[in-house]
Amino acid sequence: MSLASDKAQAFVAGLKASSGLDLLAGSGRQAMSDLPVPTRKSERWKYSSLTPMLAKPVTTAPVPKGWPEGEPANPIPGLHAYRIVFLNGHVVTEASDFPIAEGVVCMPLSQALAEGRIEAGDEDWSHYHTREWIGAVHAAHFQDGLFLSLDEGVVLDRPILAHHYTLGENVASCPRHRVQIASNAHAEVVLWSSASESSSGMVNAVFEAKVGSGARLGLDKVQHEQGAVYHLAHEHVVQEKDSTFRIHTVTVQGHWVRNELNVIQQGSGAHTMMHGAYLPKAQEHVDNHTTMDHTKPHCTSSELYKGIMYERSTGVFNGKVFVREDAQLTNAYQQNANIVADAGASINAKPELEIYADDVKCSHGCTVGQFDEEALFYLKSRGIEDRTARALMVQAFVGDVLEGFGQEEVAQEVKRLLAQRHGWM
Amino acid sequence: MLTIKNLHAQVEDTAILKGLDLEIGPGEVHAIMGPNGSGKSTLASVLAGREDYEVTAGSIDFDGTDLLELDASERAREGLFLAFQYPVEIPGVSNLNFMKAAINAKRENQGLDAISAKDFLALVEEKSALVELSGRLRDRSVNEGFSGGEKKRNEIFQMAMLEPKMAVLDETDSGLDIDALRIVSEGVNAMRHEGRSFLVITHYQRLLDHIVPDHVHVLSDGQIVKSGPKELAFELEAKGYDWIKEDTA
Repeated sequence: MSLASDKAQAFVAGLKASSGLDLLAGSGRQAMSDLPVPTRKSERWKYSSLTPMLAKPVTTAPVPKGWPEGEPANPIPGLHAYRIVFLNGHVVTEASDFPIAEGVVCMPLSQALAEGRIEAGDEDWSHYHTREWIGAVHAAHFQDGLFLSLDEGVVLDRPILAHHYTLGENVASCPRHRVQIASNAHAEVVLWSSASESSSGMVNAVFEAKVGSGARLGLDKVQHEQGAVYHLAHEHVVQEKDSTFRIHTVTVQGHWVRNELNVIQQGSGAHTMMHGAYLPKAQEHVDNHTTMDHTKPHCTSSELYKGIMYERSTGVFNGKVFVREDAQLTNAYQQNANIVADAGASINAKPELEIYADDVKCSHGCTVGQFDEEALFYLKSRGIEDRTARALMVQAFVGDVLEGFGQEEVAQEVKRLLAQRHGWM
Repeated sequence: MLTIKNLHAQVEDTAILKGLDLEIGPGEVHAIMGPNGSGKSTLASVLAGREDYEVTAGSIDFDGTDLLELDASERAREGLFLAFQYPVEIPGVSNLNFMKAAINAKRENQGLDAISAKDFLALVEEKSALVELSGRLRDRSVNEGFSGGEKKRNEIFQMAMLEPKMAVLDETDSGLDIDALRIVSEGVNAMRHEGRSFLVITHYQRLLDHIVPDHVHVLSDGQIVKSGPKELAFELEAKGYDWIKEDTA
């Protein structure tokens, strides 16, 4: 046994085994020993090293007595939403507010399992644990999550906020969310992650969704974690015919973040929008790996990720687009634009297109640059200070991503947090 | 208002201004003409504080302040304005947010509170009428998709908004058709004021038919080689720049 796997075993030794989905947990445990712990030798992990995380073993936190005092259960001022809140991976029901309506099942995953709402053989849609060691760790140790199921044609009157808060040192949190939107139904979900200043450890989150034919799902995903949390998130979304899926992923702050987003269009006429922005500073690391899989004809996808790398931060963007043989008349667009604001910062960006159909329209672009000095001078020549001029340009640069959030209150709060963090006006 | 003495400036290692002297009093309009490569745009860039231009000797006094001690934004806040020859397009930054930030930077410098939304909009209405800048243009991103004439009108709009003590117009007539030239010139003329000076840099005399200067200077090889009243511009137009070169040789 290698040293690396000793370290990996020590790292997970304090994690509590998951319960409720025994088959999945069992496969997860098996996969943990079958799959390699990712190292920088593997292409998918070349620029994101898990070594520093594995050096500090983590433990599952005990079930909390309640929501921490003074900490808002809803961190988004003005957002009128149903709410499910998690502390270190455990759901805190007292601080949650579930919708009660015809055709809507919204509850903790643990409750859905207890009520037998997940059929045997249907417990896992992403098969994440069969592909990634980190997915196997999740499958073997997941705790709780949002369970949301909308019946045909049901439209939720408010968004659902799933807020995860990390509090404590060397904490392991493994939330697992499952969302099922039947045909022509519509839900908007806000996934918000926060962490206290002194917190550390790992958040290993999985979000699986099925969007039925003609249905719509919108996701506002915000990472605003202080402390030293390693955040590994995987979203797996399957879309049926004529469905729409939208996700906006914005990393406001995070010590080390890896977002792995997979979308599969399984029916024709589907539309996907995946937008994201990252503005790391200090020595933070943000990695966005996305996969857009077009398998049926007449589908569209629009992907836009923008990054501004400050100070000594590092970043990764890897955007894969598959257009399968049957996916004729696909219209796929991908754009990734980066500004490296300081000499010590870096970004590794890689668009990857695999096109097997012949009648398609695919475009992609990837840029890495610096601030436009001529534009900066123009702003300054009108009396605007250098710092303010840069802030104006940054806001303009990421503006089109931030404007696209489903909930205006989320957009406002993200802008406020970014302004505070980067000293904008 | 502006006193330039023995100004030497270079870009990288190429000397461009070689001992330029110029004195502009309050309320005066001076024109600088000269052939291509004489240093006209360099003078505008040095005045505005562009960092790739290095001043190697000389001084610039701006209304009692040592201009060379200030960076570009400080110069603007002190009341200097440069109308660019090639205004920059800045996608995503709205023209109005840009102007609001600029006005508030100046007000902060003067110890004033930020302008109210109401006062700001009233000011925008008043000043945009001056250069016939439509709502469509001023609400857009800075210069994005503007025609050449629209960009120049936007420059004069910004000048009117910021009410500088001293405005430098760098080849504002380049790329303008007759109508745009008239609108831009009328905007400038409306701003002529006993406390405000202008330095109009141009290659052609035609702009000076519209903005009539008090003094005309000829720049050649980095120095002012001839100065005179407005009639000098006509003489230059008739005889060409070679005449000056021969005359001063």
